[in-house]
Amino acid sequence: MLSSIPEFPSSSIAPAGSAENADTALRTEDLSLWYGARQALDRVDLAIPARRITALIGPSGCGKSSLLRCLNRLNDEIAECRVDGRVLIGDTDAYAKDTLVHDLRRRIGMVFQRPNPFPLSIHDNVAYGLRLLGIRHRRELDERIEAALKSATLWDEVAARLDDSAFSLSLGQQQRLVIARALAVEPEILMLDEPASALDPVSTLRFEELLHELAQRYTLLLVTHNMQQAARVSDFTAFMHQGCLIEFGDTDALFTNPRERRTEDFITGRYG
Amino acid sequence: MTRRRADEAGTWVLAGAVALCLAAMLGLLGLLAGAGFAPLWPATISELHLHDGSTLLGEIVAVYDGAEALRISETDRIGGAYRRVPTADIAAQWQPADAIVLTLTDGRRLFGRGHAAEESTLLASASRPAEVLDIVRPNALGTFARFGVFARNLGRFFGTRPAASNLDGGVLPALIGTLTLVLVMSVIVMPLGIATAVYLHQRRGLGVRFVRGAINMLAGVPSIVYGVLGLGLFVHGLGADIDRWFYADRLPMPTFGSGGLLWAALTLALLTLPVVVVSVEEGLARIPVSLPEGSLALGATRDETLWHLLLPAARPALLTGLILAIARAAGAVAPLMLVGVVKLAPALPIDGSFPYLHPSRQFMHLGFVVYDAALASSDAIRGVSRAYACAALLVGVVIALNLSAILLRNRLRDRYRALET
Amino acid sequence: MLGNPATCESLLSPDFVRAAARSRLRRGRLRALLVNTGTAIALTGLLAIPLFLLGSLLPWTGFPATIWHRFDMLLAGTLRAAACAVLVAVPLGIATAMFTAHFCAPRLRAWIKPALEILEAVPTVVLGLIAAATLAPWLKTHVATVLALIVAVPAVLLAAGFAFGSRVRGEGWLPLWLLPLLIAGAAVGVAIAAHRPSAAIVPASPWNAMLVGLALGLAALPLVFSIAEDALFLVPRVQTQAAFALGATRWQALTSVLLPAAGSGLVAAALLGLSRCLGETMIVLMASGNTPIAGFDPLVGLRSISADLALGMPETAPTSEAYRSLLLAALALLVLTVLLGSIADFVRERLRRRLHADGHA
Repeated sequence: MLSSIPEFPSSSIAPAGSAENADTALRTEDLSLWYGARQALDRVDLAIPARRITALIGPSGCGKSSLLRCLNRLNDEIAECRVDGRVLIGDTDAYAKDTLVHDLRRRIGMVFQRPNPFPLSIHDNVAYGLRLLGIRHRRELDERIEAALKSATLWDEVAARLDDSAFSLSLGQQQRLVIARALAVEPEILMLDEPASALDPVSTLRFEELLHELAQRYTLLLVTHNMQQAARVSDFTAFMHQGCLIEFGDTDALFTNPRERRTEDFITGRYG
Repeated sequence: MTRRRADEAGTWVLAGAVALCLAAMLGLLGLLAGAGFAPLWPATISELHLHDGSTLLGEIVAVYDGAEALRISETDRIGGAYRRVPTADIAAQWQPADAIVLTLTDGRRLFGRGHAAEESTLLASASRPAEVLDIVRPNALGTFARFGVFARNLGRFFGTRPAASNLDGGVLPALIGTLTLVLVMSVIVMPLGIATAVYLHQRRGLGVRFVRGAINMLAGVPSIVYGVLGLGLFVHGLGADIDRWFYADRLPMPTFGSGGLLWAALTLALLTLPVVVVSVEEGLARIPVSLPEGSLALGATRDETLWHLLLPAARPALLTGLILAIARAAGAVAPLMLVGVVKLAPALPIDGSFPYLHPSRQFMHLGFVVYDAALASSDAIRGVSRAYACAALLVGVVIALNLSAILLRNRLRDRYRALET
Repeated sequence: MLGNPATCESLLSPDFVRAAARSRLRRGRLRALLVNTGTAIALTGLLAIPLFLLGSLLPWTGFPATIWHRFDMLLAGTLRAAACAVLVAVPLGIATAMFTAHFCAPRLRAWIKPALEILEAVPTVVLGLIAAATLAPWLKTHVATVLALIVAVPAVLLAAGFAFGSRVRGEGWLPLWLLPLLIAGAAVGVAIAAHRPSAAIVPASPWNAMLVGLALGLAALPLVFSIAEDALFLVPRVQTQAAFALGATRWQALTSVLLPAAGSGLVAAALLGLSRCLGETMIVLMASGNTPIAGFDPLVGLRSISADLALGMPETAPTSEAYRSLLLAALALLVLTVLLGSIADFVRERLRRRLHADGHA
């Protein structure tokens, strides 16, 4: 925890309620981000509890996706991007000089807004990350692939056609395949950037059930613009606005009794 | 209203330009198809009765104002029996069904009439004897039989060596020369082109701008200038050095110090390098950014993403680049004239004797056969029809390559449309 | 963690990760080395062209006047051939591009573009063959016919458009209607001329700049077309749509919006077409007669720099003065084409940036 709690706008870091009892899987300290001259994040302090679902909500352009991309240093790929502050994954400092960026990214799985399976077979999609780690043995690969597909509740649907192209799957299946691909390399945290926005209602429902199952073993960080979804799925919710973390707390508490005026305006639909 | 009609008139002129372009293209392809296949069909034999009482038997090869050109039996040498007959001298002209054409192995043709027994007398009439290659009675052939002769001629055209200093016989050595050249060129240009495209895709900064500038600038340089480089630097420079160091015992006979397959392939590789680089880089750039992001998020380094995901995904673009390079190389004749193409090569650049591929050998090339047969052959009429046959073959190959490149490009586009948001 | 079978060790063990990372980074360095080496070789090869030419000419300070005189003749021949070709390629190419980009039905456009790409792929030696073997004997007696057609075809089209234009629906398919009419008209014209071979204009030689211009123009046409069409198509749809909203006809939208916006792109197309014509070898070699004659008469023969290189280089000893003069000619060709290409690139790049900025505004 931080020694001093910064003043508004970057307010509280510790979620109220039961979160205090949980371990912290991921923590940001004073995290700011600039794209060129434009500031996208402003001194964000956040502590994500382990093996829970934390939802990030806020109007579009508030910095939710930018925050995710800071955590696994995907922003490194953007030339004009500058980061200030600290990100701790477990006890690893993500921005320390001796951090292996690719291993950091392996430890934080990421699922994108639109399913992005590789133009490979279903089998090779899941095998992709494993092969990078040097796992070549056919039997070991197959075992790990089966386990990952089972965890993503996709195994029964694709077991018979692992060699088909990943594009032959429906969008909902593709999104679960992408999750299986991330799970195969044994991440600690799974970040999902509006993962259900491309899915139809039935697939979305199925997807949310999967999230609940995954939360028993992984720390989940879910960006969503859908507040019903955040309320349905998450244990904790963080509300962001214009690059600042406004409020962070137990989901039920935040939705029923927001402490901040702007949070209330947002969840009651006055803007966003 | 007049204003509006004037606008329409302008539109019609533009549409006329489009129509003219299409007409030019159709005319070009039609001419090639017609004139290219014509020499392979069995020619009709005519008998001309002249007013002075004599008769001439032969093939009418041209009709121009006031006269006919006739090729009669070539008893002595190929191309040595043309007759120009003024139309006014002709009393009657017909196509006897019993006309015989004897094709000899040296390309000469003998014309006669009569039964099978006549064939040997016809052969005996030649002042220089040769083996008989083929006997046809062209005027008596039915449709199927004509196709049979056509197929046989086509087989000879593709499958045999040239006869009679490239006036007759097949184009096999030129075909093999062209293919070998293109193959060696591809082996050189693909790794270099892919490496350069990857460099341009992956890096930022001054180096990239420099490389890109050099490629843009040299993409428009005429092929003959590449040929000058090939001759001046590769043949006279590198080749002479190699000869001095490794083949000193054979000097003054040049080994690599004269034009040959290797230098020609290197020259063409430089010529086609910009095509490959542009095509591969475009293919890499067209892959939606969500794919490399997905790979990076899985813990791949940028480098692994490129090699394990992007390059395999850009395979159609690599293939497109290769095909376009081959098409460009197959049509580039001018530089080859400086670096080793010859009218008649004594040996193939690729054969059964070790080391199988002979990079220092001179070679034949379809495009050069077109040039040489059209302008520099001893029998202009045979030369031009042979040039057209080779041209049709060359254009057929190049168009097939280009069409497949276009199809591949479209398939690549379709494949990633699903991923674009 | 993940419920992997007991046989599999966890990937998270730090030793495993570290060991894997070391070999992965090593492989990455190797690949980077490959890429850098390949790029360096490619760059060396490309830069070898100017460096080689400059390097072999620099120590050579003076050429005798005869060589300069010959060089002038070659340059004049090159320019004359290129000028004739540009007169064919640029009007035809740009007119075709205007129609295809602005008036054409999309389905017809999808056919015209690949058709011209295929025309571009036809090896120039084939066009040279057609020019030398088929076109040359015909043109010998039909120069006047060709000139008459050049005037008559656009005039007839103008008149026809003026008379029937407003009655024809679906102008996007117009070229397909005109195609058979054009072929029939040209065939009739040629047939009339064939009966009375015109002696009005008789060229001094069957191999002349006009013949070269026709064939070379056909070779450069697809390049001019594709660059001009790209430039016109780059103009954002909104701009022409705005002109339509103000009541402009399609033709007015073309002249008032499209041409001002993409005009520099058309200039670039013409420059690149010229550059292509200057360096083309096989057509000139086969159809020009290869006799160095100065002057501007399109009906006499010529010898171009490129043809001179193709004919002269293989037969010249590498130490002779004639060889140096050939290298000089090659350098001149290189400088000319690189210059034209750079100007065209600059113009196109600026156009692209401007239109891109407009498109987002």
